[in-house]
Amino acid sequence: MIRDTSMGSRIFDTLNILFLSAFALLTVLPFLYIIAGSFASEKQLATEAFFVIPKEVSLDSYRYILSSNTIPRSALVSIGVTLFGTFVNLFFTVTMAYPLSKKRLPGRNGIINMVIFTMIFSGGLIPTFLVVKGMGLLDRYASLILPIAISPFNLIVVKSFFQEMPEELEESAIIDGCSRYGVLWRIVLPLSMPVLAAVGLFYAVGHWNSFFSALIYLSSPKKWPLQVILRQMVMLAQFTAANMDSFDSDFVRPPEQSIKMAVIVLSVVPILFVYPFIQRHFTKGVMIGAIKG
Amino acid sequence: MSENDYCGHFPIGVSMATMSTAIETIDPMDLKTESGKRRIARMKKEKSLYILMIPGILYFVIFKYLPMWGLTIAFQNFQPILGFLKSEWVGMENFRDFFSSPDFFMIFRNTLVLSLLNIIFYFPMPIVLALLLNEVRQAAFKRAIQTIVYIPHFISIVVVASLTYVLFTTAGGAVNILMERLTGETINFLGSPRWFRPLIIGQTIWKETGYGTIIFLAALAGVDQNLYEAAAIDGAGRFKQLIHITLPSIANVIVILLILRMGQVLDNGFEQIFLMTNALNRNVAEVFNTYVYTVGITQGAFSYSTAVGLFKSVIGVILVLGTNGIAKKFGHSGLY
Amino acid sequence: MRKAVVLLPMVLALVLSCSRDGKAAASAGAEGPYPLSIMVMTISGEPMGDDSPVKKYIEEYTNTSLDIIWVPNTTYEDKMNITFASGDLPTIMVAPKKTSSVINAARNGAFWDITDYLKDYPNLSKANPQVLNNISIDGRVYGVYRARELGRNGISFRRDWLDRVGLDTPETIDDFYQMLRAFTYGDPDGNGKDDTYGMTVTKWTGPWDVMKMWFGAPNEWGEDSTGNLVADFETREYMDALKFFRKLYKEGLVNEDFAMMESSKWQEPYLSGKAGVVVDVADFSTTLQGEFETKLGFEEIVWDVVGSVEGDKGLHNLPFAGGYNGMLVITKNGAKTEEDMKKALAFLDKMNDYEMQIAMMYGLEGVHYTFDENGFYDVSTDKAVKAQYDSAAQMGMGIQGDFRYDPDQPIDRDELVLKRNAVYKSNLDIVVGDPCASFTSDTYAKKGAQLDKIIEDARVQFVVGLIDEAGFNDAVKQWRSQGGDDIKGEYNALYKQYK
Repeated sequence: MIRDTSMGSRIFDTLNILFLSAFALLTVLPFLYIIAGSFASEKQLATEAFFVIPKEVSLDSYRYILSSNTIPRSALVSIGVTLFGTFVNLFFTVTMAYPLSKKRLPGRNGIINMVIFTMIFSGGLIPTFLVVKGMGLLDRYASLILPIAISPFNLIVVKSFFQEMPEELEESAIIDGCSRYGVLWRIVLPLSMPVLAAVGLFYAVGHWNSFFSALIYLSSPKKWPLQVILRQMVMLAQFTAANMDSFDSDFVRPPEQSIKMAVIVLSVVPILFVYPFIQRHFTKGVMIGAIKG
Repeated sequence: MSENDYCGHFPIGVSMATMSTAIETIDPMDLKTESGKRRIARMKKEKSLYILMIPGILYFVIFKYLPMWGLTIAFQNFQPILGFLKSEWVGMENFRDFFSSPDFFMIFRNTLVLSLLNIIFYFPMPIVLALLLNEVRQAAFKRAIQTIVYIPHFISIVVVASLTYVLFTTAGGAVNILMERLTGETINFLGSPRWFRPLIIGQTIWKETGYGTIIFLAALAGVDQNLYEAAAIDGAGRFKQLIHITLPSIANVIVILLILRMGQVLDNGFEQIFLMTNALNRNVAEVFNTYVYTVGITQGAFSYSTAVGLFKSVIGVILVLGTNGIAKKFGHSGLY
Repeated sequence: MRKAVVLLPMVLALVLSCSRDGKAAASAGAEGPYPLSIMVMTISGEPMGDDSPVKKYIEEYTNTSLDIIWVPNTTYEDKMNITFASGDLPTIMVAPKKTSSVINAARNGAFWDITDYLKDYPNLSKANPQVLNNISIDGRVYGVYRARELGRNGISFRRDWLDRVGLDTPETIDDFYQMLRAFTYGDPDGNGKDDTYGMTVTKWTGPWDVMKMWFGAPNEWGEDSTGNLVADFETREYMDALKFFRKLYKEGLVNEDFAMMESSKWQEPYLSGKAGVVVDVADFSTTLQGEFETKLGFEEIVWDVVGSVEGDKGLHNLPFAGGYNGMLVITKNGAKTEEDMKKALAFLDKMNDYEMQIAMMYGLEGVHYTFDENGFYDVSTDKAVKAQYDSAAQMGMGIQGDFRYDPDQPIDRDELVLKRNAVYKSNLDIVVGDPCASFTSDTYAKKGAQLDKIIEDARVQFVVGLIDEAGFNDAVKQWRSQGGDDIKGEYNALYKQYK
């Protein structure tokens, strides 16, 4: 690109960078508060409204979290469900999206409309629960994965991406004696890494953040993922006093503020770690999948 | 309440845009121009493709369509303990109850106003931010800013609401301390009907603007760089390039997103509003979703809340079709 | 699409048939442990596990084998309704509130009516009749309530502040007012700065409900001069109370932002030394004292507590939550026969023994607690140790009294705790019951939440001065026309019937 080096252009660049920095700072300040809070003393949290630097740095809340195996265990569950769930998601999504990307496949439009219809109408909590129960999935990790095996949105992202691939590649492969499955596996998928990364991240974030299915479908506390524990800790303090049964608070006091913050930090950190690695693919993937031309 | 969780983790922007392309790509070739015989022959030839689809189709049938008979409870007085078969059928009673409720218009108004404000104030923000980011020449700086502004999307709304309180309370909140120093007065942001909507929009802008840029940045990345060079040679400045090249290249995405947002105008985020509502601002804060919650869920009125939800979905479909028609009139491709 | 339609009935039939085969609740041999499933909430994320020695002890003691279904309290009601719909109910479950789905489940025959069986059990027969009345549905008892201190509400205040401003323990409403004034304008912390106020109230409306009782307003419903029931906010006394609140607000004796303040932040003004009075459960005093000691390093006792203050109409107080927090119901789906039901009831009875209460709250001697040199309970604070009985107390009922208030139990109690316990006790003489607690109004079940909000909002708006008495009366009119009159009619009919 030819650089515009006029005065106005340079002023704009400076202002732009200043503005974006300010916006980023505004974004990050509350998050800094949470991080600072997770290291701060209870006294500071109770008496100061807002701060980003803890007066005295204490690792107590993190030590507390790791003192019992609940959080490590639930984090492992979350990681397992996220990895395996994302794999299942991608499998279901790809196998359905590939045929749907063939514009001349008879019946294709009917199926696409059927998919889109589910975006607008859903049966609701109880019927879905009864189906999950009927499938014998209750209290199994599969109940966190199978009922959300395909997100219609992601399905269509992948389908659109496949649709953009040059037909010739596939056709020549078929002429060479490759089956449809072989084409998908050896030609289409390797070329689809960007969209798979993007959609995979969507799915993974969904699994990582989901808590409601676990609450409803899993009755063994040992199987609860991290978000259930996190929510329980954060909500408990939210509801104290209002719905408070102080009888309970005599025995299990709501966790200290700093511990809540530490749990929040822990639950967000994995996403932030993974994110930059995927970010590049990500934009590319969504781009081709979502917007054509 | 729960169903939305499943797909609510990424911005409406991305997901909705993709949905649109799906609808719009229906191929004229597929219309019933060919004979049944050829069709069947082709279906046979593509057997492997149909086999591939089996898991996906089974998924939709079992987990999406099978539970849909649950919508019929909108016409029942559903009692969980009696089940679907034994609960009493009441026809349109739940709908009548809802329409005759004195709160109906208040809720309708609040919901629409909030959604419109959202479209006016929040909707352009990701576009503006994406355009500004697109103008940044230092790749490292751009990437750093991007990573930072995505973070809030991942933070629970409970935490956001609680931070809002901490910052805006009259009892020593940072914003009010500042206000007092500057103007000598404090403003009761959290407890005044006037400030409720700005606060909600502000929260949304803070939380979702960054993440919302993704789709626009993606579109911008697809713009042919030669166009800019050609324009620069023709003597067009950056601003002109923005107007004549950049904006038109994402106009379609904007229109599509706008249309899809229209379909959602009755759907304001429940948790966010619920957490920000109090006795002093309730007359502007109560919206469909919070209403369904207080009347329906907390008292276990499943039928009633399903009826309201069904009403909402139907209106949503009508709105999408309507705006789609308008968009077409103005020369955009629309969705269908 | 068409395929789906064909498949639908097939899979539907499959699902329905699958949901039939409930849990095989077949009773084991006559002497063997009786298998029981029980659904309760957990308030933490790590409730007592299956390998916990406390659970084993409970099973041995009650001769049962327990299948405990833990549900986080934040979603308990969702899970409960789903469980109802699934047709696969545990033998025993907590019904946390008398919501319309619980009432309907009882009416539709989901639970055993245990009214006539309670007398056969040593502990259950001691149940408090007033609380039994509060939990009953259409005049019948469907569960064993989880007892909570009926006289739990009180006024907690900073004793050291009160001494510094030279006032005595408040006895009348005016004393209470003077205390708030002195705490606001009399520099109670002695730092020479005007940085304190009287009392913190939050979004939660509980404190106003407690204070209205001081003025002689009824608890939700009361008789007017003709013997008909009227809502509390239709009475003169209620308006007197409202005007008092408005005065407190206007004079800055309560926090300006109370209507917005999250109740999770309630403790903060006290911990930062800004406020000195709280009207809520009396154990707020002991809780805050504990926080002062652990977080702020206080060594002496600075908090104090009284039950209520006297007004023109005498000394009254609000009973805490009807004296219960949910009840444990026995389902007909889980306990198929009367025999099964009696076994489940026997289990609930045994869970009320002191041994069980102690196990659920403190764990086992030598493992979870020991006795210190004074012979007092010394409960381990180790997180992993505590997790072995975490949330177990949710299964407890405490029908024969909470062992912690039993003076014979060797518990280390400071004078504040003793005082608080005395407040609980003395409150029992002055709490005013809700005459409609056991009644069910269909209109209320349908519109109650919205109607309650009309009055709650109007009350707050009156207190902060947004509306005047006429405005409040308009809200009452609105309440009456939108369904309040129907509720009143339904309650009055029931009241005459059961009186």
